[in-house]
Amino acid sequence: MKISYKLAAILLIGVSIISCKKVIELNLGNTPPQLVIEGNLTDARGGAIVTISQSVAFDNTNTFPPVSGAIVKVIDYNGTAHNFTERTPGTYSSNFAGAYESSYTLQVQANGQTYTAVSTMPYYVNLDSLSVTEQGIAGKTTKTIAVYYQDPPNENNQYRLVMTVNGVEVNKIFTRNDQFSDGRAVQALLYEDDITLKTGDNVIVEMQCIDPTIYTYWNTLSKQQENGFNNSATPSNPPNNFTPNVLGYFSAHTSQRRSIIIP
Amino acid sequence: MHKTFYAFLLGCCLLYAPAAIAQKKYTISGTVKDVATGETLIGATVKLQELQQGGAATNAYGFFSLSAPVGDFTLVVTYVGYQTITQPIKLDKNVQVNILLTGGSSLKEISISGNRPKNENVENPQMGVTRFDMAQINNVPVIFGEKDVLKTIQLLPGVKSTGDGNTGFYVRGGGSDQNLILLDEAIVYNASHLFGFFSTFNSDAIKDVSLYKGGMPAQYGGRLSSVVDIKMLDGNDKEYTVQGGIGLIASRIKVEGPIVKNKGSFMFSVRRTYADLFLKLSPDSTTRGASIYFYDINAKANYHLDDKNTLYLSGYFGKDVLGLKDNFGTNWGNQTATLRLNHIFNSKLFLNTSFIYSDYNFVVQSFSPNNSFKVTSKIRDFNLKEDFEYFINNKNTLSFGINFTHHTISPGNVDIFGDANINTKSIQSRYGLENSAYISDDWHATNKLNFLYGLRLTAFSLLGPGTITTYDANDAAISSANYTSGQFVKNYLNPEPRISMSYILNEQSSVKASYNRNTQNIHLLSNSTASSPTDLYIMSSNNIKPGIADQAALGYFRNSKDNMYEFSTEIYYKWLQNQVDYKNGAQLLANQDVESQLVYGKGRAYGLEVFLKKKYGDFNGWIGYTLSKTENKFDAINNGNYFAATQDRIHDISAVGIYKWGKRWTLSGTFVYGTGNAVTYPHGKYIVGGLTTFYYPNRNADRLPPYSRLDLGATLEGKPHKRFHSSWTFGIFNAYNRKNPYTVSFENNPNDPTRTQAVETSLFGIVPSVTYNFTF
Repeated sequence: MKISYKLAAILLIGVSIISCKKVIELNLGNTPPQLVIEGNLTDARGGAIVTISQSVAFDNTNTFPPVSGAIVKVIDYNGTAHNFTERTPGTYSSNFAGAYESSYTLQVQANGQTYTAVSTMPYYVNLDSLSVTEQGIAGKTTKTIAVYYQDPPNENNQYRLVMTVNGVEVNKIFTRNDQFSDGRAVQALLYEDDITLKTGDNVIVEMQCIDPTIYTYWNTLSKQQENGFNNSATPSNPPNNFTPNVLGYFSAHTSQRRSIIIP
Repeated sequence: MHKTFYAFLLGCCLLYAPAAIAQKKYTISGTVKDVATGETLIGATVKLQELQQGGAATNAYGFFSLSAPVGDFTLVVTYVGYQTITQPIKLDKNVQVNILLTGGSSLKEISISGNRPKNENVENPQMGVTRFDMAQINNVPVIFGEKDVLKTIQLLPGVKSTGDGNTGFYVRGGGSDQNLILLDEAIVYNASHLFGFFSTFNSDAIKDVSLYKGGMPAQYGGRLSSVVDIKMLDGNDKEYTVQGGIGLIASRIKVEGPIVKNKGSFMFSVRRTYADLFLKLSPDSTTRGASIYFYDINAKANYHLDDKNTLYLSGYFGKDVLGLKDNFGTNWGNQTATLRLNHIFNSKLFLNTSFIYSDYNFVVQSFSPNNSFKVTSKIRDFNLKEDFEYFINNKNTLSFGINFTHHTISPGNVDIFGDANINTKSIQSRYGLENSAYISDDWHATNKLNFLYGLRLTAFSLLGPGTITTYDANDAAISSANYTSGQFVKNYLNPEPRISMSYILNEQSSVKASYNRNTQNIHLLSNSTASSPTDLYIMSSNNIKPGIADQAALGYFRNSKDNMYEFSTEIYYKWLQNQVDYKNGAQLLANQDVESQLVYGKGRAYGLEVFLKKKYGDFNGWIGYTLSKTENKFDAINNGNYFAATQDRIHDISAVGIYKWGKRWTLSGTFVYGTGNAVTYPHGKYIVGGLTTFYYPNRNADRLPPYSRLDLGATLEGKPHKRFHSSWTFGIFNAYNRKNPYTVSFENNPNDPTRTQAVETSLFGIVPSVTYNFTF
């Protein structure tokens, strides 16, 4: 269902003829730094990583101060707490792997507050293969990665795909669900205009099976990214699973990678 | 609950019957028409000169009725742009007269005729209303030279555009879906083409436009903020004429003529854009295969069955098509059809019966070799209306009627053909019955005091079949039940009181006050700033309550220089309840549980409007200023505090000037200035998933820079010719080429990945246009 993408593309072509863009200076003021907790737990060892940082003012450079000294643990379905150790400033990890169809609770004590979030790791869906397709829009042909997987029938599945090109992560969020493709063999096209694919590029795609809350989180962010002519009228911080409210997310998900060399 | 409704209905019919018997006067009634075309004239003033008080305006079908004691009178009929007729009338029985006015006189000629229409805007208790004659709309410069009713409306105080060059509009802080847009009484759901840059109303086919910003008379209902009542031309019943125009974007042609001379006529008008024809010339095959166009067809016929009955049939068909060959296609459009019978019972009682069909549908198709599917969504109404007008006496005109509407909303069907990696899917349609009854009295209480008061009662029922789920405050499903076809799921009954009054201070000035309540049962969920064909309609249900708006307004009206200048100022306050918005991160597309994705809140809007109009003379036009505030309140947004609505605009100025220069030139200009839209800017940034992400502290706490624009136009009339007439219209949109911001977006600096930047997008710079128009 990426019709909306194409619709937007046509509109952009139309609008680019008449529209005009310029970089402007805005005085966006100084909001106090906000805490950001990014928690990931995967089905493989080494995937349990929690990053805690702070937001910065819009006009600053993209360096985000890490938050050290937090107490981080994940409590599993048996009530067992897995403690995380701070390896580098702001990055906490633990050497345990999550199990499918199990719920985990992340607990973070930082800045004198305790934040908790619950996420359920879905059952694993296999990423079957990748291919390179040629997609033409308005006379321009671009190489686009296609991801193939078999969606399991009669259940809700949500996916997040992370694409890297020669080790650089593509600046675009890809999400899929099976609202229209339940039980189908799916070809998901990863449209992006951040990095143009060239012959010889090494592309790695990670497929994550994610829970519905985390799908909403990434999907909301991805829609805000696609801003342009038809942009969302009112952007907002995407809803997440933390109480009390804090920026970031906690996602227990499966993780599988495949790579392809662009022919 | 339904008993109350029918009791009210009965009351409507009986209430004033005894009053009629008590009167012992004779009545003069009839129809006012244009002598050349036979078009009925709406709002013409009819008066008996000898009588101090009284006087009538023709209704939507050109009909009027006046009462007076036995005697000899002089009947005076006046209408803007027409020569006044005076005619002696001997009243010793009920008299029927058909008045033919000679028109075609320009605005200049009226100014010297000396027979100006009355100070209707001062005396009439109706406030917040503006009627446009098409001559004025045709002289207002617009983008691409496509003269447009909805864009002209936006130049009035209290009305603002949803965006640069856009036909969508907000009235007194109401949402763009809160405008009741009627074309020959049929609701037009999506009144725009090409994402709002053109309206669906081809001005060639239009006779009359009225905008109600407040104090809506009781015969209108179903939307909270405004009524735009558009009436199509009936067609010339004297002779055949062809009128057309060739413009930058579109061409149009209209044919009209008698079916049977003086008995019936037809009008047929088509407009189509042709930018896509140039695409065929492109060397690139993808571009050649692209389609992008829209068309409108307006058709109308009427037949005068006898002195008491006239039948009208009118229709509108419009479509937008956008697509790439062998890749995807999308089209959307409105269809409306109205069948009406005017019946004159007697010189005092007039009935219009309408059967109305209205339909809006949206289709997306994908033709990819391994992914072929079609998504359709649709909204469809059947509507039966009975509208009575009872001219009781010169002090009271009673309007009453009933209205039955059946709504069907099919939010989404996904059909696959051939290979596809998606499934067939059908979201359950929803059915609703919206019935209303109203009664309203236009009462000239004394020489100084006039009232327009009434009540509308709206009953809405959500009907089966379907599986209906109820959600709790946390949007979790708490119950679900299956309903059979026609079973009532949920009923709402809303009384809507309406009252307006005017107190005449002197012949030139008056004060007016009004209060009215409106309700709305069809809600629009839109997730973009531009008008999008994918906007989703939902109806009131077990979860969604009818929207309610209460508006109170106070105004001062003053005319001067023999009614050449009209001045008015109004203040208003509007309370909005049961407003619907969607949650952050809501999934709206083809979602069976869409009602779990919504939040409910309230709103308030208040403001001051000032309007000065010069009606006649070589130079005419108006200037309007609005000072206003519009705020919303949702528990889940902005910590439950009031925040500025997107349409909040503190200052708004619009000015229109039209100057008749010599015999052949008409020059025109419009200027608009307004506070920028309320927007949400990021006030910080953070990193998740390796991506720089923006932090939004408060909803709509920031402002786009102010908007301003000057448009210029000039019309050159061709040399006078016996049969053939032509004109050239030249226009310059955004004459000083201001880059008005359409959006501001935020992104990584492409030259310095360690930084982010704000990018402002503006749409239209200076856009010249030329249109050639002809009539023969």
